[in-house]
Amino acid sequence: MAASVREKQTVALKRMLNLNAPILKNTTAEPVWKVLIYDRFGQDIISPLLSVKELRDMGITLHLLLHKDRDPIPDVPAIYFVMPTEENIDRICQDLRNQLYESYYMNFISAISRSKLEDIASAALSANAVTQITKVFDQYLNFITLEDDMFILANQNKEMISYHAINKPDIMDTDMEIIMDTIVDSLFCFFVTLGAVPIIRCPRGNAAEMVAVKLDKKLRENLRDARNSLFTGDNMGSGQFSFQRPLFVLVDRNLDLATPLHHTWTYQALIHDVLDFHLNRVNIEEASGPEASPAGARPKKKNKNSYDLTAADKFWQKHKGSPFPEVAESVQEEIGTYKAQEDEVHRLKSIMGLEGEDEGAISMLSDNTAKLTSAMSSLPELLEKKRLIDLHTNVATAVLDHIKTRKLDVYFEYEEKLMSKQTLDKSLLDIISDPDAGTPEDKMRLFLIFYITAPVPPSEADVEQYKKALLDAGCDLSPLNYIKQWKAFTKIAATPANYGNSGVNSLFSRVMNTGSQFVMEGVKNLVLKQHNLPVTRILDNLMEMKSNPDTDDYRYFDPKMLRGSESSIPRNKNPFQEAIVFVVGGGNYIEYQNLVDYTKAKQGKRVFYGCSELFNAPQFLKQLSQLGQK
Amino acid sequence: MNTRRRHGPRSNEEGVYLGPSQTQAHLQQQQHAPADAPLPYAPPPADFGSGSCRDRTTEFQSVCRSLQSRQNGLQPSKPAHSPVRQHSDFTLYAKRIGRNLSNTFAKLEKLTMLAKSKSLFDDKATEIDELTHIVKQDINHLNKQIAQLQELVRSRGRQNGRHQQTHSNTVVVSLQSKLAAMSNDFKSVLEVRTENLKEQHNRREQFSQAPSQYNPNSAHNFNAGNSLLIQDESKQPGDVSINMDFRASQQMQLINEQNSYIQSRADTMQDIETTIVELGSIFQQLAHMVKEQEETVQRIDAHVDETSFNIEAAHTEILKYFQSVSSNRWLMIKIFLVLIIFFIVFTVFLA
Repeated sequence: MAASVREKQTVALKRMLNLNAPILKNTTAEPVWKVLIYDRFGQDIISPLLSVKELRDMGITLHLLLHKDRDPIPDVPAIYFVMPTEENIDRICQDLRNQLYESYYMNFISAISRSKLEDIASAALSANAVTQITKVFDQYLNFITLEDDMFILANQNKEMISYHAINKPDIMDTDMEIIMDTIVDSLFCFFVTLGAVPIIRCPRGNAAEMVAVKLDKKLRENLRDARNSLFTGDNMGSGQFSFQRPLFVLVDRNLDLATPLHHTWTYQALIHDVLDFHLNRVNIEEASGPEASPAGARPKKKNKNSYDLTAADKFWQKHKGSPFPEVAESVQEEIGTYKAQEDEVHRLKSIMGLEGEDEGAISMLSDNTAKLTSAMSSLPELLEKKRLIDLHTNVATAVLDHIKTRKLDVYFEYEEKLMSKQTLDKSLLDIISDPDAGTPEDKMRLFLIFYITAPVPPSEADVEQYKKALLDAGCDLSPLNYIKQWKAFTKIAATPANYGNSGVNSLFSRVMNTGSQFVMEGVKNLVLKQHNLPVTRILDNLMEMKSNPDTDDYRYFDPKMLRGSESSIPRNKNPFQEAIVFVVGGGNYIEYQNLVDYTKAKQGKRVFYGCSELFNAPQFLKQLSQLGQK
Repeated sequence: MNTRRRHGPRSNEEGVYLGPSQTQAHLQQQQHAPADAPLPYAPPPADFGSGSCRDRTTEFQSVCRSLQSRQNGLQPSKPAHSPVRQHSDFTLYAKRIGRNLSNTFAKLEKLTMLAKSKSLFDDKATEIDELTHIVKQDINHLNKQIAQLQELVRSRGRQNGRHQQTHSNTVVVSLQSKLAAMSNDFKSVLEVRTENLKEQHNRREQFSQAPSQYNPNSAHNFNAGNSLLIQDESKQPGDVSINMDFRASQQMQLINEQNSYIQSRADTMQDIETTIVELGSIFQQLAHMVKEQEETVQRIDAHVDETSFNIEAAHTEILKYFQSVSSNRWLMIKIFLVLIIFFIVFTVFLA
């Protein structure tokens, strides 16, 4: 498991695009041109991993959605990358009847059932196209990888497996079964791609346990079936350099409801919280131009820009976890180095201009030629760098605008103090009644965090007072009902986890740099101190085999054992080197960043983070209000 | 915490993936149709390549065979389509160009290896020259062929469907970019070769103690534009002339030296100038091609966002129109009110 899951998924995709043949490093191979057809699931999986240019390099000339109208291209092979649903199968059969392409390579994102395979076979027979269907593959790639060590389940139907769907009070058994099946299928695909069979641990009594039971059963069945097992063969060769098996920790979102509502201060999490950020793509709306007419009949033309934040972007990789002021400084530094390089190129140009006519020494000329050549060849690099710097400048400026208008730094500081149980210098009521300190959503979030993390629930009178203040500020109070129910419930089950006991230093600094574009006046320069969120702490306990009352009664599953045991005694006494954390019910970048920081502190450990869906705080608040209204 | 109803309808939403209804290992128990009974289900062997996917092709083919045998009992089998479809000449031509391109690539690789060898005495000059000549010819030829292919695509523009046209254009562009990459490699190989020749010459100079005629072999003149014509690139490769007779010919040599020195410097400068011009043109060509492609950093879901944005704009326009329409309604209501008032006034008058 030395390679990250993103690399493995990319390799699997590329192999599929190479007509299911292993990829040779041969540039002298003859190019074969193909067409790629995908559905929305396939689109979500491919788009963070491969850009159009990479697809072109692999010989894909066209990429089309399955359900659009497609013209026939009678002499190219077509690669299908779809999910085996009824709709998709019908459309494929229609394509076969219409004889759109020369040959068909079917790749199903998740395993296709026998009956659907027969449907395709009968359609192929009736269209006399059996010989055209060259290959049929199950790809087992039913998850989306966003970062080297972070993955989410599907993005398209996430309402079906959202926190709201899992926790709504009127859920039916059958619905729950469907949701569990979907989650387990994706997790199974993840482990097949990773090539390792994990040891599963989960808490008792909630959705995570159900998922763990099903996943264990599925893995066990697959391992038993020696002929068909997906975990033998070459696949394991690469995965067995580490003799340890990874640890798979399943937790439920109900364990920790405060973190998704938390206001954050690191770059990536801020972008996700404040701007429109999906599948590594940011959409920023910039209002351009003055109002056209006062009557408002014509809406302002807004410039929508979208930017991709990819793995190739070194600045992004370095700074996505840093606190925001650091990011601003680094952007300034990058601009400085870029200007220096630009000046270097200009200088070379002027030198060449001066000495071109000169009968100077041959060696000096050829030197300058070499320099000019290298400068010219580095020109595309420079341009690329400039583009990235512009991108980050725009994004950071947009984030900064939001921070300033909503005073997010105040919220962040206050919430950190709440979560670490320090003394509060300002009263909660003040902040809530402050009219220009953020949107009603921000205030609701703050109040919910206060309510969740209070060791003693506040008295009724206090709550009424807060409610009045919140209503004045225009907030919707339905999430509060749900949180009350949740708190009552978790009190029975366990004490709510505490959030660590280190604090936040705040230094006032008015301007970051004298030449800085990011004038952060009035924004505090907050320095983050390391503290562990509940998920990180649970992972730490389980990985290091520490004994802790929270995690001692977690269930233990080992799919490789001969008989499924109900006992929960861990057989493995060594600390684990690799772990995968999965949150059922939704996750966010704050937890991911926390885990990344934890991994950096420990040497030689790898942690992967996954969640059933990725939401930011406003989306989570919406789900909570839906739940509270029931 | 969640109250759950016991029995409810199992909803089967369209277009939503509901999870596998059966796993591979359970297929034996869940035979789908009674008609499948005569066919014994043989699970496919664990036949997958290196990696995490499973090949269901053999299973698929066995299913097809079984269905066909069942169908043959009911009706006469239709004649199968000839498996070899008629490829359009565009495809055939493109495939041929592709094959030529890969051959030339192979030759270029060999040339690279030869040029990099730095042995002092085992200089395969003639081989290298021959190979260079061949590669240069190939590149020219390929260039012409690709230009022809582009013409063919443009002329067929009206007949082809939209997707077919895009596909053809993309094929041509990718061939062009491959050719450009190859010519770049070729140029760098030649530069390496020049360097090596210079070094060789210098080393020979070191070993032989008399100064010899220095003929720079960097006379690789490239012409501008697509064709990489290489003029006579091998002048005398540094003949070592060891003069045994020092005294008499030294003076002669001095004069010769000066002349040849000046000449060589002039030649080198010319070479360098032409090299720079050629470099510039190649870069311009590459930039042109890159701009044509215009999708280097896009992602496949880019177009979807565009359309949704357009739909939003259309929606706002429709809302605007609705507003104007409803404002018209206000006017009409006022007019009607006035009319009714007049009507009442008239009736009051008459009554």
